[in-house]
Amino acid sequence: MPAPEPDDLRALGQKLDQATAKETRKPVEAPSAMGIAFRFATELGAALFVGAGLGWLLDKFLHTSPIFLIVLFCLGAAAGIRNVMRAAAELNARAAEAAKNDKEQ
Amino acid sequence: MAMNPMEQFEVKPLVPLHVGHYDVSFTNQSLWMCVVVAASIGFFLYASSSRSLVPTRAQSMAEIAYEFVGNMIQSASGEAGLRFFPFVFTIFMFVLLSNFFGLLPGSFTVTSQIAVTFALAAMVILTVIVTGFARHGLGFLMLFVPKAPWYLLILLVPIEIISFLTRPISLSVRLFANMLAGHTMLKVFAGFVIALGATAISPKPWFAPISIAPAFLIVAITALEILVAFLQAYVFAILTCIYLNEALHLHDHH
Repeated sequence: MPAPEPDDLRALGQKLDQATAKETRKPVEAPSAMGIAFRFATELGAALFVGAGLGWLLDKFLHTSPIFLIVLFCLGAAAGIRNVMRAAAELNARAAEAAKNDKEQ
Repeated sequence: MAMNPMEQFEVKPLVPLHVGHYDVSFTNQSLWMCVVVAASIGFFLYASSSRSLVPTRAQSMAEIAYEFVGNMIQSASGEAGLRFFPFVFTIFMFVLLSNFFGLLPGSFTVTSQIAVTFALAAMVILTVIVTGFARHGLGFLMLFVPKAPWYLLILLVPIEIISFLTRPISLSVRLFANMLAGHTMLKVFAGFVIALGATAISPKPWFAPISIAPAFLIVAITALEILVAFLQAYVFAILTCIYLNEALHLHDHH
């Protein structure tokens, strides 16, 4: 029985390694522009909603209308911007990682 | 009957049931949730039944899904996050299959109901809170205290708390709104196909391209919706991982 050609096998092995490396390192789907916009919009909107809602509830129970509503609405706006900044930092980090992987290939 | 693009989101009771004052009817919503869960369980049971070294098509699909979620958890929340693999994988598969099943004609999109998406998001956030307190005790509350001079903390701590409370809402609203908008758009354009298709019999020949244009458009939109269905499931799962990461490692990522 003829032995398998080691060179061919080695070449095949290398090719397989390259292919699997490329596959495993492939970044998971960069989000589309609309996806990013949607992400930012919900982060900002939800924070405003939560801030105002919380303020309204506090006012209702403490009978301090409209102090908490105003204060927490402003804080909610700040939290929303914080959320968007955090989301942007996260997306940037992912994009940078994807770019690095692309360069390595 | 005139077409109503919102009719597809109506929850209709199939088997009316009442317990005390509560309406616990088996609805089309419940039916499609059962279908999604049954399809998911059935697929993975079938795919893992052969356990061959060289995977069959079904087995390789299951393996790809497994590795995809595994890699996602590892990249977003590290080795410690892998303990939550069953949780994240279940949520990912449920959302993904709900979104995909919703695209079948005549089906019902489970994830287009805010009750469902909010229940999922609440489950995620409760897991995060329980994990955080279990791992760090009261130190988990340091999540709300960023590194800043004390006089800024008066302002920053409430902001961080609101920011944290925002998560279940943004998580659920994003999925729900995407599904709602996508399916409404599909129905509206499908209505155009019929409305403008009727102009094909018009004696004026220049009407012909206009009458078939929506039919091509809806093919493109359906393709886009398939992408959105996957992307939203992915976003939901990766945000779950990111939130779990914060509960596991607190401020490590700063």
